[in-house]
Amino acid sequence: MESPLLLITTLFLALGVAAGWIMHRSDFCIARAFRDLFLFGDGFQLRMQLVVVAAAMLLFELGRLAGGFQLPFPLFGPPSVTHLVGGCVFGIGMVLAGGCVVGTLYKAGAGSVPSAMAVLGIVLGSALYAEMHPTWSALAGRLSLATATTLPQWSGMAPTPLVAVGFGLCLLVFRRWRKKSDWRRSAFAEGYLQPWKAALLIALIGGIAAVAVGMPLGITTGYSKIAGWAGRWMAPEHFAGLVFFASDSLDYLHPLYPQPLRGGAGARLDAIAAIQWPLIGGIALGSAASALILGEWHLRWQIPRRQYLSVLCGGVLMGVAARLGAGCTIWHLWGGMAIFALPSFLFVAGLFPGAWLGSRFLARYVI
Amino acid sequence: MAVKDTPMDNQRLELDIRGQICPSTLLTALRTIAMHREPLRSGQQVLAIRTDNRDATATIPAAARNMGYHVEVEKEDGAYLILIGGEASLPSGCWP
Repeated sequence: MESPLLLITTLFLALGVAAGWIMHRSDFCIARAFRDLFLFGDGFQLRMQLVVVAAAMLLFELGRLAGGFQLPFPLFGPPSVTHLVGGCVFGIGMVLAGGCVVGTLYKAGAGSVPSAMAVLGIVLGSALYAEMHPTWSALAGRLSLATATTLPQWSGMAPTPLVAVGFGLCLLVFRRWRKKSDWRRSAFAEGYLQPWKAALLIALIGGIAAVAVGMPLGITTGYSKIAGWAGRWMAPEHFAGLVFFASDSLDYLHPLYPQPLRGGAGARLDAIAAIQWPLIGGIALGSAASALILGEWHLRWQIPRRQYLSVLCGGVLMGVAARLGAGCTIWHLWGGMAIFALPSFLFVAGLFPGAWLGSRFLARYVI
Repeated sequence: MAVKDTPMDNQRLELDIRGQICPSTLLTALRTIAMHREPLRSGQQVLAIRTDNRDATATIPAAARNMGYHVEVEKEDGAYLILIGGEASLPSGCWP
């Protein structure tokens, strides 16, 4: 691996450890934010997700104006109906799995065996998607809704006034919420980090990631890469013929590095491996360290079998959906929404009906 | 989730939800409270929930207090013990 990639690897490991620590301390879970709205009528955690989006919106625009990176970020493309479908399937999956792609990861890091099972499901789901990739990518093109990727591109407006309006609207919403309810959560968990603080820190980590590699946080191509590696080992001829693992989805020249950042889902040590694998490992490590220090790290596996089935199915659905929708919750919610990416609006809109369906299924058949 | 009844002066209903997926803790707690509403309110029974879900230490006490129950939370063996029973009183102490 070349030295810029080694630097990136080190940085993303550190960012991952920080994110894992924060998420464990605050139990900062995107799946919970959507699920609790339907299951318990509780919008507290969803408000905290909006705090991440608002803060990231501001940070990304400041970063763009300072010349730290260009927008839209690489790997974001024009919106398609397939983003909505991906979001919906992902919403079902994350509720059944008890966490999204990062939620299950930090919980697995803290010793949750079912969450580790969900992570395995995500990898399996990525491999499953590879089988349908040519058909799905052709469908995504046919169901494309615009040629522009972001709202500024589509509307012809400059990004800064849009960000000012978007951020201002968020502040108005926060002010209204603050009048109605408390922003602090009375938790008895030792070392608890208030979710609003976690939200701001997560946005800051996303901002650092954007400056470092020109992209927001994302990990699902890293999971696909694990699937590509495992597939090459188990069925080399079959996996060698899959287009999904052969192409480089990332090919981007970042001002900090002399050569383009290239990478994809295939079994190669490339920029995707340098960025996303250390982030995945770091989140698990950071969460594990937090749990160990609090004396809360325990391997627990004695749970009802139907919960194992639920998390595995949920993981598989998330693995497939992250590719159907060209990204996961953190990519679209913490990244794309903050730059007004049209596909991210569709993906997040799809999460709502998906989380509703998943919540109904979970309450009726799983718990 | 089976509830273990332990014969005592104040019958103690024990729920061990450690390791279960989210939101098992809150759902199971709410269902059990609904099933034993009167004895829990009168203090004849105490519901003891063991969980390793950190968020449940916020959601369960808040939900139970909203329903008018007294709640206490303790950390025990690397997990949390949430005790619900009796009429609500002033909030018990929380971790700093």
